[in-house]
Amino acid sequence: MMPHVDAAYNLAWWLVRNRADAEDAVQEAFLRAYKFFGSFRGDDGRAWLLAIVRNACYALRGQAPGAGVNEEFDEQVHLPGMVAEGSNGPFCRNPEDIAIQHADRELVNRAIEELPVVFREVLVMREIEELSYKEIARIVDVPLGTVMSRLARGRRLLHEAIVARMKKESPK
Amino acid sequence: MNCQDLQRLVHAYLDYELDLMTSLDLEAHLNECSACRARHAEMRALRDLEARQLRFHAAPAPLKARIARNMRAACGNDDARRWRAWRAATAVSVLALAALLAWVVLPRTLPGPHQVVAQSQEKMVYHIANSEDVATALRNVANLLEISPDARIVVVANNQGVDFLLRGARDRDGTPYEPAVSRLKVRGVDFRVCNNTLARRRIDSSQVIPEAKLVPSGIAEISRLQTREGYAYMKL
Ligand SMILES: [Zn+2]
Repeated sequence: MMPHVDAAYNLAWWLVRNRADAEDAVQEAFLRAYKFFGSFRGDDGRAWLLAIVRNACYALRGQAPGAGVNEEFDEQVHLPGMVAEGSNGPFCRNPEDIAIQHADRELVNRAIEELPVVFREVLVMREIEELSYKEIARIVDVPLGTVMSRLARGRRLLHEAIVARMKKESPK
Repeated sequence: MNCQDLQRLVHAYLDYELDLMTSLDLEAHLNECSACRARHAEMRALRDLEARQLRFHAAPAPLKARIARNMRAACGNDDARRWRAWRAATAVSVLALAALLAWVVLPRTLPGPHQVVAQSQEKMVYHIANSEDVATALRNVANLLEISPDARIVVVANNQGVDFLLRGARDRDGTPYEPAVSRLKVRGVDFRVCNNTLARRRIDSSQVIPEAKLVPSGIAEISRLQTREGYAYMKL
């Protein structure tokens, strides 16, 4: 009966990856949201709530939101040499190579769970919550361009992880 | 645009986040570069996979009950007024805490249309966001109609939840969904599909079975049914 509790819990689960911590973070976030809704200035309540949930998750881990993020790492997407690297990578495989369309649900979810949190959070916000880049930028508190490069980098890592897992599971 | 630019922009392109001119540039490059076309196809496949497989973790029921209790305990009159101001500010946006408020706070503290929301038993909107929930949802809807044949029921599907309303969709045992949907439709159940989801997953609207109707945004539709038409919300 409280739809945003589900959205909040889903984001929390994907950030902390276990039920007990996710429940704590969501409960804490709702208390904070309730306490501070007077300071809410904006037009998107869901994005606002998810930002609070995200902060609660990082606080639970004793981290500042975005701690440990090296923006240069993000920016690697832009560096020269990426295309050459890419063409030797998973994008230029033989036709008999694994088709990721056949990856099963368990494998895909595991691969996402193991992505670094900075990429995992933007992927979940985009894919499950269907948030726009602008909303994600507001929640994560980074420029729009960073959201774009994190999503690109995150999906590339995810693609590699899925291919690697499929190879491991079905040795030729 | 060169290959490097394309690599940087292809996801934003697939997410409909690029402006028109950049999109056209990108498409022009795709036309002339087979390496980038291959990359584009790979990324589409990956994104389809994400859209199909990513798991939605719904909040456990005890957590919901706990939060509802906390909210009630924390609620004073002054706060309720501020809640209402905040809720008004977010009325056009997705439900946000407003729905929570309508359920938890308003029926106790404020007069007005919100009480209708909480008390209405006969109007239900079911939200299906996950293909795994479809069987349960259809069963619940059929059961509700047994008990209360005049109930107004709307089923809103978005995310992975739209799949069962596509042509030729079958459940895990291979049984087609469409006859079940048709039977419920005849009994007055409305099926509504989120067009945002279709656009994002690049599903053509002709794939949707005729029993279902398109709405621009599933979330906005649910919000509208709750706040304007007094529907109760059932998330599965
Ligand atoms: Zn190219």
